[in-house]
Amino acid sequence: MSSDRVGIVGIGQSAFRSRRDDASYPDLVREAVVLAMHDAKMELDAIQAVVYSLSPDAMVGIGNAERLGVDAVGGRSKPFLRINTGGATGISSVAAAYYHVASGMFDVVLTAGADKVGECGDSQTVLNKIWDPSYERPLPLGTINMLAMSGVRYMQRYGMTEEDMARVAVKNRRHASLNPNAHLRKVVTIDDVMTSRYISWPIKLLDCCPQSSGGAAMVLASERFIRDNNLDAVWITGVGHAAETYWMGDRMGNNPTAEHADAYALGRSFEKSYRMAGITDPAKQVHVAELYAPFSNTEYHSIDAARLVARPGDSVPRLRDGEFELGGRIPVNPSGGTLCTNAIAVTAMARVAEVALQVWGRAGDHQAKGARLGIASGNGGDHQIFGTMVIEA
Amino acid sequence: MGFRVQPGVIGCSIRPAIVTGQRSLEEIIYDTGQLALADAGLTIEDIDGIVVASNDQFDGRAISVMMASGSVGGVDRDIMSTPSASEHAFVLGALRVASGQFRTQLVVSWSPTEVSSLAEAQRLGADPYFHRALPLDELSAHALQAAALEHAVPGARQAADAIVAKNRAHGRIAFPTPIMPTGAGPMRWPVTPEMTSTPVTGCVAMVLAAPDFIAERGARDVAWIQGVGWATETGFLGDRDLTQAPALAAAARQAYDLAAITDPANAFDLAEITDATPYSELLAYDALSLCARQDWAARTGDGSFARDGRLPVNLSGGVLTWNPVFCTGMIRIAEIANQVRGKAGVHQHANARRGLAHAGSGFAMQYQAAVVLGREARS
Repeated sequence: MSSDRVGIVGIGQSAFRSRRDDASYPDLVREAVVLAMHDAKMELDAIQAVVYSLSPDAMVGIGNAERLGVDAVGGRSKPFLRINTGGATGISSVAAAYYHVASGMFDVVLTAGADKVGECGDSQTVLNKIWDPSYERPLPLGTINMLAMSGVRYMQRYGMTEEDMARVAVKNRRHASLNPNAHLRKVVTIDDVMTSRYISWPIKLLDCCPQSSGGAAMVLASERFIRDNNLDAVWITGVGHAAETYWMGDRMGNNPTAEHADAYALGRSFEKSYRMAGITDPAKQVHVAELYAPFSNTEYHSIDAARLVARPGDSVPRLRDGEFELGGRIPVNPSGGTLCTNAIAVTAMARVAEVALQVWGRAGDHQAKGARLGIASGNGGDHQIFGTMVIEA
Repeated sequence: MGFRVQPGVIGCSIRPAIVTGQRSLEEIIYDTGQLALADAGLTIEDIDGIVVASNDQFDGRAISVMMASGSVGGVDRDIMSTPSASEHAFVLGALRVASGQFRTQLVVSWSPTEVSSLAEAQRLGADPYFHRALPLDELSAHALQAAALEHAVPGARQAADAIVAKNRAHGRIAFPTPIMPTGAGPMRWPVTPEMTSTPVTGCVAMVLAAPDFIAERGARDVAWIQGVGWATETGFLGDRDLTQAPALAAAARQAYDLAAITDPANAFDLAEITDATPYSELLAYDALSLCARQDWAARTGDGSFARDGRLPVNLSGGVLTWNPVFCTGMIRIAEIANQVRGKAGVHQHANARRGLAHAGSGFAMQYQAAVVLGREARS
């Protein structure tokens, strides 16, 4: 039997870009795997099982494209399965790898994937197909106008302004400028954001994440293996998932199952992760956060749901005060976050990877000083499926 | 290494052939999940987590877990999805219970037939440069494997014909009144129409639980997971020797080690093996160490794997009887669970104390899994 804890012992991330014409889809997966194995100081033979991270097949134009990635992850004749929870896929894959180790069946598990969103043509055309073909697909919904509606509702309930949204973009671009793996690294001003064109009111171009190409991989191991092999590690101490209703209409009527301004199920997922990690007051106990927020407005309800502020909506004034900047009370998305890099299949894995690097003290120029406990989240589907983690040094 | 907590199966619902038009896919999934919960004597409130498996191309959706979340009770609950294979949902559900962090899991998989062409949907899963243009669907890949086996193993054709006769006979017992007309399926040489069956809509759900939960609820009809193994072949057919199944051999070793099985040929009372074609079943005999390939013709000829044989295989009639393409793997596991639980119905084995389930899927059975289920908590 393994010991109780599960550790992260290796991390690999591409330098994310709009296009990677130099690398096929399996090449991108392999790139991340090589980086992670090098980081873990292991050979692929040490990997006992693989969890493959891939969200909609259509982004890479191949059905069940994980089958073509088997050799890229060294998976031949090994336990191998794929996870897809939409945008949450990356954190769900880390969670699945965690359960592989926590089950007692494996000591060393690799999770890896890649995406070529920047080369898929138009991700919103693909993502429209996530909705029900009869009712909500023809509206037509996309992930941008879906979350624009959340933003409008958040404005009404909590007083967020378009300038407040711009502040998130400015903060995260500044952070991304310090992260060599981030896709959008150019610093922008509030004026830049405010004068960029509307995509779906109130979301403007610079409030949006890019379409990125690149890969990510992580190696997880049992505490016993880590101890026996004298490895350096950080620890996954909290894991959770929760989902909301599929139907957008059920979030915006008179009796919504969950308020669309908020991130109800994200909060429920964090409750589970915090309970598992023994965190009772996240606003005081969490040192750093990587929260999946593909549009600037969604970072606010993610901070609320993670209970990094006293009550929903308090994230807006607290962000104005600089509390979530690098150097602030709790840096949020010091990597630049999803707003600056979004290779969908591994975006939520990058959130876990970046928090792990933070509590490891290996985040480089975007290191949050003194971070020993961090949180990560991923959102998938139509803001429907959420995964969360607590990572500790 | 073994499970930290040994999971058991306490509820199953197998709906291998559903006449569509009466219920939407969401309703089919809901019905099936509810039947599994009722079989376990539970409600959705007792479920800590859910794992589902489906094929986005078959469902016509980009992330089909989204649609199913409400139907399986995923709202405000921990839900994940393994679109690689139906059996992978079972595997992940088992791992989650084994981790000690969940007391229960509902695992569900489905496979609709509304798509205009399943073969075309499968063809999208071939790499766009080499295989897709052939054109290659899953049955074509199975046929390539069949041709390779016929060439490599004397008597393979004769053994394949015997398996067809056996599984169709089993199917007539298991389903004396067929749910819908079936019969011969598509063909790809050397796989004849008699060796396949027409794809149907199907759905399967299982409830897994931890020992403390099972004891607390006093559940008596339990199929304990004594061993589980899963593995994959490479995605490129040209890199494989199709006469061999090294991934299944690896999966079997993992499952047998966990179950402390050293003599697989004599370890089981019965087995369910994914017979996408009878050649798939033959190859599985070999890789699962149930019957070496040189003995295929003799053992299939003497009825060793028939209902009253030494090791009955596919008492349900197998995929040859009902072929809900994507979820056939989890159905094999659920069939063995029901046999061990004494709930298999008219095709119940008289003394099913320990059974072996094999799940295979993808091009020429790329994904392979072996599951050992038994009445005893520990093998």
